[in-house]
Amino acid sequence: MASSNPPTLPPRATPDELDAAGRGPVLTLLVATVGWLVGAGALALIAAIKLHAPGFLADSAWLACGRVLPATANAFVFGFATQAGLGLALWLISRLGGAPLVGRGGIIVATCFWNLGLAIGVGGILLGDSTGLEGMELPRYATPILAVAGGVIVAWTAANFLARREPIRHVAEWYLLGALAAFPWLVATATLLTGFLPLRGVVAVATGAWFLQNLFTFWLGFLALAALFHFLPQLTGAPVPSRSLAVFGFWSLALCGGAAGLNRFHGGPFPAWMISVGVVASVLMLVPTLAVARNLFPLLRRHDRTRPPAPALTFFRASLAAFTLAGILGAANAGDAARHVTQFTLVTPALDQLTLWGFVGLAMLGVVHDLVPRLVGRAWPSARLARWHQRLAVAGVALLVVSLGVGGVVQGLALNQSALPFFAIVQRTVPFLGMATLANLILLTANCLLAVNLLRLLAQLGRERWAQFAKTWLTPLPEEVDP
Amino acid sequence: MNRAPWIAFGVSLALAASWLGLVLVPQLQLGSEPMVVIEATGQDYPLARSGGAQAGAAVYRACGCAVCHTQQVRPAAEGGDLARGWGRRRTVARDYLRDEPPMLGSLRLGPDLANLGARETNNVTLLFKLYDARIATPGSTMPRFLWLFTKRRVPAGFAQSPEALPLPPAFAPPPGWEVVPTDDARALVAYLRSLQSAALFYEVFPPVKPRPATNGVAPVSATNTPPTR
Ligand code: HEC
Repeated sequence: MASSNPPTLPPRATPDELDAAGRGPVLTLLVATVGWLVGAGALALIAAIKLHAPGFLADSAWLACGRVLPATANAFVFGFATQAGLGLALWLISRLGGAPLVGRGGIIVATCFWNLGLAIGVGGILLGDSTGLEGMELPRYATPILAVAGGVIVAWTAANFLARREPIRHVAEWYLLGALAAFPWLVATATLLTGFLPLRGVVAVATGAWFLQNLFTFWLGFLALAALFHFLPQLTGAPVPSRSLAVFGFWSLALCGGAAGLNRFHGGPFPAWMISVGVVASVLMLVPTLAVARNLFPLLRRHDRTRPPAPALTFFRASLAAFTLAGILGAANAGDAARHVTQFTLVTPALDQLTLWGFVGLAMLGVVHDLVPRLVGRAWPSARLARWHQRLAVAGVALLVVSLGVGGVVQGLALNQSALPFFAIVQRTVPFLGMATLANLILLTANCLLAVNLLRLLAQLGRERWAQFAKTWLTPLPEEVDP
Repeated sequence: MNRAPWIAFGVSLALAASWLGLVLVPQLQLGSEPMVVIEATGQDYPLARSGGAQAGAAVYRACGCAVCHTQQVRPAAEGGDLARGWGRRRTVARDYLRDEPPMLGSLRLGPDLANLGARETNNVTLLFKLYDARIATPGSTMPRFLWLFTKRRVPAGFAQSPEALPLPPAFAPPPGWEVVPTDDARALVAYLRSLQSAALFYEVFPPVKPRPATNGVAPVSATNTPPTR
């Protein structure tokens, strides 16, 4: 581990040096992120339409909604959220540690393999090779590529952590370190247990739930919290109010976060103790949720009004709200009374989307929004597109969660009226599924705006590079010019 | 003070604890659960699936039917599953011993299918459901699974093949054409008809004696529905 006496550490590199060193790998990750974001958005829209329009694209097996939905989820989690999170981790570690990024070539190559592996995996799901386990659908010929490529990136990230020139000071760094420490556990469980040592009966399902819950908490959740704990103080100009509350929030989340997922199995074919553990953990999740909220919400109020509001702040603010709401609703949904209504209804995807899109996704959009201009040293080409992206993305997530959530409660109440024919329930959910489709359309539009802005930025850069390159080539060197 | 090692160690410890408790312990508790013998019939429960039904499970997985259909029935006190006629009893871990993997599902946009085989035994009804659910349920939102069927020309001068779906006029292909289910469709129907978790044994009903697992060698069972052609 890094030396604990600061005097022996080499001096901090300047921000320009840090940005120059980080540009290659972080930009690669973020550009790939936006690509997957748009891809996942298109898949999500197809799946959303298919849930209520039986004849839509019914000819193609690869577009079956049972394939497109898991493909969407995996593209979103491993293509968008994970790569944005890795980009954030690399950049933040070098920025806060004051050491230029090392292992740049290795990281870029591993990122290419990660994207290749994921493309193979998502393609495999669309071809019908899903493992059939919720949360671990990627087929076994793709998971080893992802495990190795992800392992290399995480190892280099950890190496950069060790190479830092300043001791750990920031809450964001704890969360990054936690996520790095959790990565091997998640990968080992997912690859070994599903692909290579398949488990028997419902144990496989329980393991899938364990994986999903811990992926949400220790990987996506920790990365998104790192973003919130870094950017909220930075963009508002106010420090995190209480460090001890932050310590408490971190450890309580690490303790309760892993078990809350078993809740999904309420009434399912599992031993009663597993579900009880899930219920207790979900209620206990209120503790870290409130600890984090108590620490970060005041920053938004204390926001220095004289400074122009940073554009990315919208995303982080909405992400914090989603995190808090997800914790509270998760605890409320743990009790028997609520579960008897909400179990197996659209409330489940509503809460999943609140965490996945609301908390993690919006935080990662904030990361893309803030980091890309910083890395290339110029603003987004169109401030208007950027503004619309923010508004539409936040509105889309809100509409998605509300329509699924309300639809789920309506559906659950109807399901419990046993005299009501099933088809009548289907008809009651259709309007809500239609609203969810609209929400997905809004999200896709928003993310296309981001992609257009990014492409324009890259084109500008490319043109400039090219002009420079051409100029140096076409101008004769001084010694070639005859005196 | 350098906290990095402590953070990494603490997080690993938290994960290790949850892994032991929530992956390893269930594996020890349920992973070697034996089949049971149903005394009335002398058969091992869960019943082995025929080859066709097993192939059908793969089709069910590949089509992702589980995104809209669950295969689990909750106890009478939790929700209205039993009242809706989706089963005679709740489902328990033992019901899934032969499923690789069990496709429990978590969303019920369509009805629960854990006991479909007990309430639906007509192949044609099930094939219709897959071809176009609106034949039986006008306005149904269940997607069409057209790639499980071939639409082909009836050779001039011949009658429709006996395998062709007897579609009602509003859904029938133009004259001279017929719709024939593929092998996948038939396998899927055999699987759907094999879905039953109604057997009563000690876990859900007294008193049947357990028997050690058969090491994966499926006992031949007389009442197993053969795939119907
Ligand atoms: C978009 C969600 C959706 C998907 C995906 C889906 N279904 Fe359905 N399914 C429904 C709905 C809604 C109903 C109820 C309306 C009806 O009976 O048509 C239904 C009804 C059924 C029924 C009748 C159940 C009963 O109790 O009579 C069967 C059988 C069925 N589906 C099988 C399948 C199979 C097999 C697949 C995968 C190939 C599948 N479904 C995929 C939504 C879906």
